[in-house]
Amino acid sequence: MDLNHPMLLASDDPPPFPPNQTQLRRLDRALYCQICKEPFQGPVSIACGHSFCSQCIRSSLESLKKCPVCNETAGEGSIRRNRALEEIVDSWEDARAVMINLSQPQASSSRKRPPPQPTTSSASNDKVKRLRRDEAGSSRSQSPAKRSSGADEDEAIDISSSGGVEDEDEPVLTENDEGECPICSARLAIAAIPLHIERGCPPPKKQVNGSGSGNQKADWKKVFGGVSTAKNKDKEPMKRITKPNYHLATPAELKAILSAHSLPITGDKPALEARVQEWILLYNSNLDTSHPKSLPALRARLNEIEASRKRDKEKGKDALGEQLTTKEGVAKYVKERGGEFERLRKEVLARDSQALARAKGQAGKPIEIE
Amino acid sequence: MATGLATKRLMKELAEIKTKGTPPGIVLLNAVALDQWVFLISVLGDETIYAGETFALRLKFPNRYPIDSPEVTFLADAEYIPPLHPHVYSNGHICASILGAEWSPVLNAVAVCITMQSMLASNKKKERPEGNDRYVRSAPSNPKLTRWQYDDDTV
Ligand SMILES: [Zn+2]
Ligand SMILES: [Zn+2]
Ligand SMILES: [Zn+2]
Repeated sequence: MDLNHPMLLASDDPPPFPPNQTQLRRLDRALYCQICKEPFQGPVSIACGHSFCSQCIRSSLESLKKCPVCNETAGEGSIRRNRALEEIVDSWEDARAVMINLSQPQASSSRKRPPPQPTTSSASNDKVKRLRRDEAGSSRSQSPAKRSSGADEDEAIDISSSGGVEDEDEPVLTENDEGECPICSARLAIAAIPLHIERGCPPPKKQVNGSGSGNQKADWKKVFGGVSTAKNKDKEPMKRITKPNYHLATPAELKAILSAHSLPITGDKPALEARVQEWILLYNSNLDTSHPKSLPALRARLNEIEASRKRDKEKGKDALGEQLTTKEGVAKYVKERGGEFERLRKEVLARDSQALARAKGQAGKPIEIE
Repeated sequence: MATGLATKRLMKELAEIKTKGTPPGIVLLNAVALDQWVFLISVLGDETIYAGETFALRLKFPNRYPIDSPEVTFLADAEYIPPLHPHVYSNGHICASILGAEWSPVLNAVAVCITMQSMLASNKKKERPEGNDRYVRSAPSNPKLTRWQYDDDTV
């Protein structure tokens, strides 16, 4: 593989913080899963307290019943969904571009603000505040905690009132405000756009009210054992699948699991086993996130994984190595991988334009109303 | 782990090597494929018994990388000889727990190289493992198929 391949030039990571922003870099790193080196997706914690993406740790525990970081014995039973961490990752993903912008002095957003009006001149207030604090005693710590607990009442009032002024100055966008996706132009809640792009721009979910066809109704009847209420209609069955004992399970039992999830039942026992195993991994980890994929999307993913494994098996890896040393070889490889590279490339592009769109939005025009 | 994730992880590692480089004494020689890389490893400093020598370490990454460990061997060909070390066989196979039982998916290619480099750096005796010839005669081509016994070693 050519080390100057364009895929490697376009870094998959969102733009990093400048090296001098060590605190922000540390915070950023803390939200990466140590297994896949990506921001946590459906984060979970295990008994030792270490956290990983649900899918990452579930795969890992299948091979080794230990925490990959600290080596403490761990089992799947100790996996707990970490909702707080997920919320932090999601909101950091949103805040990241803003923080990067703020951490670069020339791109300071305050410069783009209209001149402060006399009644809400927070900038001059700031200056006064700072001066006064300097006068009040340079030996005193400036950390907010110390300041607010300090005896100087004037200061405390000063700070809280200026906070109020700043709030008025900047209209706060709520999660429900809509914006346009910079990639596909779909309209959806601004807060949801980054994740929507991350997921490859699925069409925004619409509330479906009893518009199911007869066929779908029958399918759902099957799923719920005959009980089909309007409420259940757009809900997926959300129970974790219990792993079968693969040594004891008969092909018929494996097929039963597969057909219960509308999956193909072709192949010999190892093939069935691999399919069940992969499906349980996808399905169960999909329950550990607030952004679950749809069942059809999961099935498509399973199919993709199987197809890719099959290709690798059929073709010797050495032949693949030869192939990738030539330009035509790379092109062929890309084509045969069923667009895997293309998908990754799009993801990279999406991320870039996402950052760009955020930076632009921040600069003032369509999103931030001033 | 899905193939797509292995691909993604490897591209991330390659990109990072490209931008940040590798630690001293470790150079990425080539990546003939996304899943097969060769590093050149040398031990720096005067303390080492390998002064002036350079070895080629090949990493092959499985479909389920990083859940599964990479297949790691020192190249033994016309150009490169595996280091003389009590844990390195003349066919390039390495007996190191980090490549087997102690592998963890939080490790990466550069971590493997660093471990191999320090394994060489701490060695004082240039010799092949006991039973080298016997092992090499019957060894599978993939060292991961060998049942390794990690005895005294701390690597
Ligand atoms: Zn992960
Ligand atoms: Zn741990
Ligand atoms: Zn979109």
